[in-house]
Amino acid sequence: MHRHAYSNGQVAYPSVGGSGTFSIQPHKFQPRSQPGSLRRRRTLIQRILLVGGLFFTALFFFYPDLRPNLGSGPLSYLSSSDDAQLETVRYYDLSNVQGTARGWEREERILLCAPLRDASPHLDMFFGHLRNLTYPHNLIDLAFLVGDSKDNTLSKLHDKLEELQANPDPKQQFGEVSIMEKDFGQKVNQDVESRHGFAAQAGRRKSMAQARNWLLSAALRPTHSWVYWRDVDVETAPFTILEDLMRHNKDVIVPNVWRPLPDWLGGEQPYDLNSWQESETALALADTLDEDAVIVEGYAEYATWRPHLAYLRDPYGDPDMEMEIDGVGGVSILAKAKVFRQGAHFPAFSFEKHAETEGFGKMAKRMKFSVVGLPHYTIWHLYEPSVDDIRHMEEMEKERKAKEAEEAAKKERLDKIKDQFDSKSSDWEKEKAEVQNLVQKAKSEEKEKEAEAKEGAKKEEVKKEEAKKEEAKKEEAKKEEAKKPGEQPKQARNFQEPDEIHEVRGYDEKKKAEPKQPENPDAVL
Amino acid sequence: MPTARSLRRPNPITFVLAGILLIGFFIFFFSGNDAASVSAGQGSGRTAASVLSPPSLPFRKSKSNEPQKPPPVVHYYMNNATQTRDPAGNQEKVLILTPLARFYQEYWDNLIKITYPHDLISLGYIIPKTKEGNAAYAALQSQVTKTQSGPKNKRFASVTILRQDTENPLQTQLESERHKMENQKARRAAMAKARNSLLFTTLGPTTSWVMWLDADIVEFPATIIQDLADYDAPIIAPNCFQRYYDEKKKAMDIRPYDYNNWIDSPTAKELAAKMGKDDILLEGYAEMPTYRSLMAMMYDQSADRATKVKLDGVGGAALLVKADVHRDGAMFPPFSFYHLIETEGFAKMAHRLNWDSYGLPNYLVYHYNE
Repeated sequence: MHRHAYSNGQVAYPSVGGSGTFSIQPHKFQPRSQPGSLRRRRTLIQRILLVGGLFFTALFFFYPDLRPNLGSGPLSYLSSSDDAQLETVRYYDLSNVQGTARGWEREERILLCAPLRDASPHLDMFFGHLRNLTYPHNLIDLAFLVGDSKDNTLSKLHDKLEELQANPDPKQQFGEVSIMEKDFGQKVNQDVESRHGFAAQAGRRKSMAQARNWLLSAALRPTHSWVYWRDVDVETAPFTILEDLMRHNKDVIVPNVWRPLPDWLGGEQPYDLNSWQESETALALADTLDEDAVIVEGYAEYATWRPHLAYLRDPYGDPDMEMEIDGVGGVSILAKAKVFRQGAHFPAFSFEKHAETEGFGKMAKRMKFSVVGLPHYTIWHLYEPSVDDIRHMEEMEKERKAKEAEEAAKKERLDKIKDQFDSKSSDWEKEKAEVQNLVQKAKSEEKEKEAEAKEGAKKEEVKKEEAKKEEAKKEEAKKEEAKKPGEQPKQARNFQEPDEIHEVRGYDEKKKAEPKQPENPDAVL
Repeated sequence: MPTARSLRRPNPITFVLAGILLIGFFIFFFSGNDAASVSAGQGSGRTAASVLSPPSLPFRKSKSNEPQKPPPVVHYYMNNATQTRDPAGNQEKVLILTPLARFYQEYWDNLIKITYPHDLISLGYIIPKTKEGNAAYAALQSQVTKTQSGPKNKRFASVTILRQDTENPLQTQLESERHKMENQKARRAAMAKARNSLLFTTLGPTTSWVMWLDADIVEFPATIIQDLADYDAPIIAPNCFQRYYDEKKKAMDIRPYDYNNWIDSPTAKELAAKMGKDDILLEGYAEMPTYRSLMAMMYDQSADRATKVKLDGVGGAALLVKADVHRDGAMFPPFSFYHLIETEGFAKMAHRLNWDSYGLPNYLVYHYNE
């Protein structure tokens, strides 16, 4: 309206962002003899505009919702070039990440998950393994869950990861690296003794399952084709383990897990007893238990008679041999990401009477995924001596020292005696030798005559005697073996696993007369 | 003398300068405001530095001329992902998940009206690779692009769109075909798998709440997140109704739609006990009377909207779940879990993990009427 008040073509008042600021006042050459009413009206309009401007400024300030959208003009680039870098929409096609046998060729991403608690002593070893993996590192995403740790796990982990990512060779750098920190407030200790006590198992397994699920649900992305679960306390594993397991193209696959032992315990031993095939006995047992009960494998309390992957190992067997299993152990699991995407997880409740990794195996089976173990492809878990082992070792050490001391004392005594009676005994010896020589000569003459006659008969006798002796020996051995299991249960309670193995090993290996096994053939790889 | 003169008759250049200053001031004033909020958010982990990051966070595109930096080591403090009665006040992040088969504009219109701060909301979609899915995908994409390039305060923190090959034997989404009893188990198993795939790939370490909202829910209150969170329940479901034209009354009316919210009955338990391991109980079929108390039937217009009942089975039409429930492992079983499947099985599994489900009989959301 006011525009029309000045027909000389000038815009009377500025508008925000307009270019007409030029003439906020009358033009220079405007005659001064302007009517007073016009001037007053102009000042009024000026004031209205000023007030309005202030009002809108305040309004837009307090109610940002009402601001007009000016779009992304050139000015917005000036003011917020930062914002243009921000990407909020992501598109993924899940049919590209189903997982195939030769994932490294198709650039399939693997999520490597490791739950940690008080694990700082093992981290150096674990990162050594990580560096040595032959699968392209940039395709591996690392995810750790650190919870309830009392040692320096977290800071050490962080430093180690930074070091890993600082590698100047881009091929050595890993993909997404995330550390989740979450305390569940678990009360169970992580030392070997309390970890493997029977009573603590069900509760421990459930809270472990919870930790695994938290880690997985936070770290799984639409880009992952595979998920690899790995314990940090694996001592020896082939560098090619990811490819080796992937090659089988199964939904869930686990290797055999053993651990080395000191010689007095037998040199080596199956470690992970959670990989097994279901048995009728176990199914019947499951039916008798209440809803929340959890069957844990490897304890005398539940005799399940299941075939365990661990016991089926043959050091010279075909490492590619597969075996269908129902429960899986968690030391090293490679699974297709679709298994977890579609909902299989580590039940933190009793799922078909199992929890955690065993429950995961059961659930994967229930969802019609293939679950497979490799009995002759072995990785080696770290050996941590149990309290009993340590006690035993101390005893052995003591015994050894006592024996040494005893022997030393004996030697000393003998030496003394020798010293005292030295001269006489030597005299005796000489005379004795001479007498014996004489006797021998006489005897040998006699023998030559008799020998020819008796030879045939003697041979038969000797044979019979030997046979008898052997039989007696065998009987004795059997008796001993029968005794053994009777003697052992005292120990069995506190130290389950090695004992069980003793029993099993007992029969097999005594008969074989033990051609000492070559040192971990797989481990050397 | 010149000074006095310039006072009386200001030079036009002064005005030009003043104007530029003023415009500059306005731009700085308003855009500075936005920039401030963005940079404040960075500290609390609202943006990721690399494309390799949880889909629930927006990320910074790497500049093409820069050398590739190694992905950083990122710490997530999951103890801080709380779930409280005041989610907006505590900056709690919500993930809204929708399995999408058909796109309804009303759904989107309601979604962008949600009053919960949009920079705390991430969206997740899973769409089957079918002809129908392609159409839905295109429609969704155009809406997403529009919203995400619109006013900043209306933009969602992130949007994730997943496509998957469908293993659903049913090619049609027609309601009559979809609801046939013999088709139900296969359909719901496929649905459960889709839900799980969506959930476990989009659930980030910073997410506090997961809101399940079906694409055919075309009317819901804009304050739905705050309203449901206010009950502080692990799992909570509003009542799902449908608007329809009543021929007798010659007027629009509402009727119950989702029968999967229920309280268990002894009859249903007996039925389940007699069933085979893989059989499932279904709700809302005359062939299989379960006599469960259905929340859909508990609606009372005059009663208090805040009434809350404890449920044994829930439907997925609209559902607010604490992220911890899902993290503990509660998922949508694609198999018969205690003779239940999908969302109903989810409630049961959550219950086995000591999380309870609740329903709001008088708080309504509306399903699309075909």
